[in-house]
Amino acid sequence: MPRLHVDRLRSGDGSEDEYRVVERTGLAAWDATTALTVVGRPYPRVEGAEKVTGRACYAGDVRLAGLLHARVLRSPLPHARIRRIDTAAAEALPGVHAVLGTHSAPAIRWYPDGLLFDRTLRFVGDEVAAVAAESEETAADALRLVAVEYEPLPFVVGLEAALRPEAPPVREGGNLVGPPKVYARGDAEAALREAPVVIDETYTTQTALHNCLEPHGCTATWDGERLTLWDSTQSVFDVRERVAETLGLPEHRVRVIKHHMGGGFGSKQIAWKHAVIAALLARRAGRPVRLMLDREAENLAAGNRNATRQRVRLGATRDGTLTAISARIEQDTGAYLVGGEGSNTSAIYQTLYRCPNVTTEQVGVYTNTGPAVAFRAPGHVEGAFALESAMDELARALDMDPLALRLRNYAEADQRRGRPYTTPDGLRLCYERAAAEFGWRRDRRPSGQGSRRRGIGMAAHDWGGSGYPPGYAWVKLNGDGSAEVVTGTQDIGTGTRTGLTQIAAEELGLPLERVLLHLGDTATGVYAPVSAGSATQATIGPAVRAAAAEARRQLLEAAATMLEAAPADLQLREGTIRVAGAPDRALDVADVTRRIAPHMIQGHGARGPNPDGKAVRTFGAQCVEVEVDVDTGEVSVLRVVASHECGRIVNPTLVDSQVLGAVTQGVGFALMEERVVDAGGVVLNANLEEYKVPTAPDVPAVVHARVDRPDPEANATGAKGIGEPPLVPTAPAIANAVFDAVGVRIRHTPLSRRRLLAALAAHRPEPA
Amino acid sequence: MKPPPFDYEAPTSVEEALALLGRHGEQAKVLAGGQSLMPMLSFRLVRPRIVVDVNDIPALAGIREVDGTLAIGAMTRQRAVEQSALVRRRCPLLADAMPQIGHFQIRNRGTIGGSLAHADPAAELPAVVAALGGRLVVRGPGGERQLAPEEFFVSYLTTTLEPGELLVEVRLPVAPPSTGTAFVEVSRRHGDFALVGVAASVTLDEAGACVGAAVALTGVGPTPVVAAEAAAVLVGGRPDARALEEAGRRAAAAVRPDSDLHASAEYRTHVAGVLTRRALARAVERAQGGGEAVTP
Ligand SMILES: Cc1cc2nc3c(=O)[nH]c(=O)nc-3n(C[C@H](O)[C@H](O)[C@H](O)COP(=O)(O)OP(=O)(O)OC[C@H]3O[C@@H](n4cnc5c(N)ncnc54)[C@H](O)[C@@H]3O)c2cc1C
Repeated sequence: MPRLHVDRLRSGDGSEDEYRVVERTGLAAWDATTALTVVGRPYPRVEGAEKVTGRACYAGDVRLAGLLHARVLRSPLPHARIRRIDTAAAEALPGVHAVLGTHSAPAIRWYPDGLLFDRTLRFVGDEVAAVAAESEETAADALRLVAVEYEPLPFVVGLEAALRPEAPPVREGGNLVGPPKVYARGDAEAALREAPVVIDETYTTQTALHNCLEPHGCTATWDGERLTLWDSTQSVFDVRERVAETLGLPEHRVRVIKHHMGGGFGSKQIAWKHAVIAALLARRAGRPVRLMLDREAENLAAGNRNATRQRVRLGATRDGTLTAISARIEQDTGAYLVGGEGSNTSAIYQTLYRCPNVTTEQVGVYTNTGPAVAFRAPGHVEGAFALESAMDELARALDMDPLALRLRNYAEADQRRGRPYTTPDGLRLCYERAAAEFGWRRDRRPSGQGSRRRGIGMAAHDWGGSGYPPGYAWVKLNGDGSAEVVTGTQDIGTGTRTGLTQIAAEELGLPLERVLLHLGDTATGVYAPVSAGSATQATIGPAVRAAAAEARRQLLEAAATMLEAAPADLQLREGTIRVAGAPDRALDVADVTRRIAPHMIQGHGARGPNPDGKAVRTFGAQCVEVEVDVDTGEVSVLRVVASHECGRIVNPTLVDSQVLGAVTQGVGFALMEERVVDAGGVVLNANLEEYKVPTAPDVPAVVHARVDRPDPEANATGAKGIGEPPLVPTAPAIANAVFDAVGVRIRHTPLSRRRLLAALAAHRPEPA
Repeated sequence: MKPPPFDYEAPTSVEEALALLGRHGEQAKVLAGGQSLMPMLSFRLVRPRIVVDVNDIPALAGIREVDGTLAIGAMTRQRAVEQSALVRRRCPLLADAMPQIGHFQIRNRGTIGGSLAHADPAAELPAVVAALGGRLVVRGPGGERQLAPEEFFVSYLTTTLEPGELLVEVRLPVAPPSTGTAFVEVSRRHGDFALVGVAASVTLDEAGACVGAAVALTGVGPTPVVAAEAAAVLVGGRPDARALEEAGRRAAAAVRPDSDLHASAEYRTHVAGVLTRRALARAVERAQGGGEAVTP
């Protein structure tokens, strides 16, 4: 029986007390010895047919009677004040049903210092006005009729410029987001002074755009005082809360639905303005409104991975033992804090290696560009590029194998919190599997003197992905012995539906096709948190298992009466209940549910707590081989071997897909992707033609050297997250391989050909 | 975005097409494979009143050998040219260039005439036609004209095709014996337009001396650049490493590329030299191999 634990977290400081409620389930975890039949098998996605036949309904596919189409007018200037705005001509255009702007929209607070439609605009793409019309074309025409008089204000673009003392302030308080976030253990400065070997280098990473195939957007409709939103979001409950709060509605009158999603990568983990704008337009027009961002708006105003500049110092003894790690990090937050940045670039410095003296200092910097938001392993991708490049530099300085150096500084505990990992050998396993599969160092070829040189490189990472409470699920058994699972989580394209269905089918002893899972709807689903942080499978999987276990218990109780046996003597597999030791005494699940109908068996399940005193983490290592053309600067990634410890693999196909997709994004981050902003603050490549993401032929051969080992201490399913981790080490592994190939170090992403050729020219000895 | 409304006709003969084009003049656009036209329509960069679809005119497609030239109908799909044994044998430079155009999905629809008429400054085919001194056969109300590449390509996306005219064929000289060719390029990603591309052809005599060479570059200016100075270095001698080096230098000196988001002028100039050297070296190698280009 579930037991509620209520902890008081904070009190006595005048504010309200906070409580944390955790339900313990008492379920024994599936460990390495548990025989599972559905979990662990490579089922194709349960919604696959729907998607490939085009039937899957995304936020912008909802077709309602009287649907209007909305478009948003965006600031053409990086910093300006609206002196005057006149929408009369737009409103008069036939087919236009609602117009909103600073002058006419309710004064809804959106940012701490800004309104939904504000008179001050802080980046090219900031929202100025919105129109709902009979067609998108009419809406676009109407936007052209909106007359706006802008007063241009001084602006600043780029980290370095924004940090200069004379830089124009992005907001009244200046350009620093706040005081630096400082972390320290031991005394890094003293250790650096004493260290016989020191690496001291500065690395930069670029602003990268998520470019989800499905842009941000929603369809909104009102039924009296009830609002329904089909939103492309990673968190239906967070959107509901924000929209209800902003519009002054009780939460039960707001329903947020998200059936399918064409990618989020973190950019959809918060409620964005479009949801509220669509709701306001729909209310004003008295008709449903569809507001989907186009690719340009998507790439201007829906988030990005923040650019960083990181000064990294490593101190080590001659045998390669790290004595100090110090990082000073500046990151480009853009014009606003949207509330879902999550970019803790410092974190990886604090945890990846065993080191007694660590200091990190991190400052966010405002610039007049689109706001940053979480992007698949936010902060870690940026931090890993610098740290793992610096580790490679240290290995070279020590003339040590980069893998040996990493093993020498192996961390078995979370040094921030002083807790051992539940899988202290997790990263070691990844090193072993990746190195063995790749042939690390053993197949070392001389890189040659021709124009095409080959090199190999590696990098490691850690990450969260433990999942956490709370999160709930519910299981119902129908009269015909089929089962439905209901949860309020979302499948953001990763295959959550399939993975969770497998968990339920396993626990219920039913074949996969007898179980259907419903998700992504606040009206019908029980609470689940945002699908982010690689947490969904590890958060909701155990809740689904707990709900299924409760239903199973009731089912076996009913069956026990029918079979005249004790529930403990019953076995349930593939839809059949048998009495142990008496194979002829058996019933199909449907025989039981039919006989007890219309009674319905229902199970409630909650995510239990994470283990006390231990840290649950994911780990990984990647080895890559590249070929560098020293005459043209082209870098080709030939192959990548990726090994990641993510606990039990619930579905190998889904996990392989995450690895392949993440490595592909890593190749893009390392070699191609970069948002380019000109001196006037205009993004020059806010489209998929000029912003280069890898296409199928650019993807290297990727081998996933699986580490499929349950982490039974983590949760009752033994599975952890894999969504983000495989992106983290790809870029530094590529940069390290480039160094191996040609002997020059590129400390900036993307590793552009111009940079590479310039570095090679500087490096090449003058011909005698 | 969707294209603004337009009328649509699909004639089944060249005469019918010319009549339609003559009647509508500047208001008409020819639709070939649509790989460039459809995006331009959707972005509303062009707003024709009528689209004349020439896909139903069988006479416009096909590859023939006539009097020492290869005649390729304008509507021949790029993929058909790529897979043609005749092209591989008679005009290996064209065969070399084909796989570098976009992705095969693009080449399945895209036509040889569409690419030439579109005249993208980074396209491969204009450089091939320029390197080989081919002829563009154009029909219009005044009859047929045959244009040399320098008479056809004017600037970025601009040719001397008049409203009412149709490109019907391209003619390329058949490669002499002991000819080797190569088309090499650098682009940001697989399938992207070239940042720089080089078409090269080298013909040797029995003693191994170079009796003919041609080089043309794409992506380094508004129209394909014929680097005659670079090719001339090789002619008359044995094409050795020094000569190839010098040819590369001259090609780099012959181009005045622009900078853009994807590459600076300096990078393009540098790579023009590198790729010219490489393309010629590969062409020489193939010519020495008896003139049979290596089938990829
Ligand atoms: C993703 C992608 C990548 C690409 N990559 C490359 C590349 O790397 N290299 C490259 O060269 N091209 C590339 N292209 C363009 C491709 O080669 C096009 O096929 C070609 O440019 C146009 O040929 P089309 O038959 O599709 O012509 P259309 O798009 O139908 O027409 C193009 C233009 O030519 C005119 N036109 C067409 N045929 C005639 C004719 N017979 N007479 C008169 N006018 C005519 C049309 O009116 C139109 O203005 C790419 C395209 C895409 C979509």
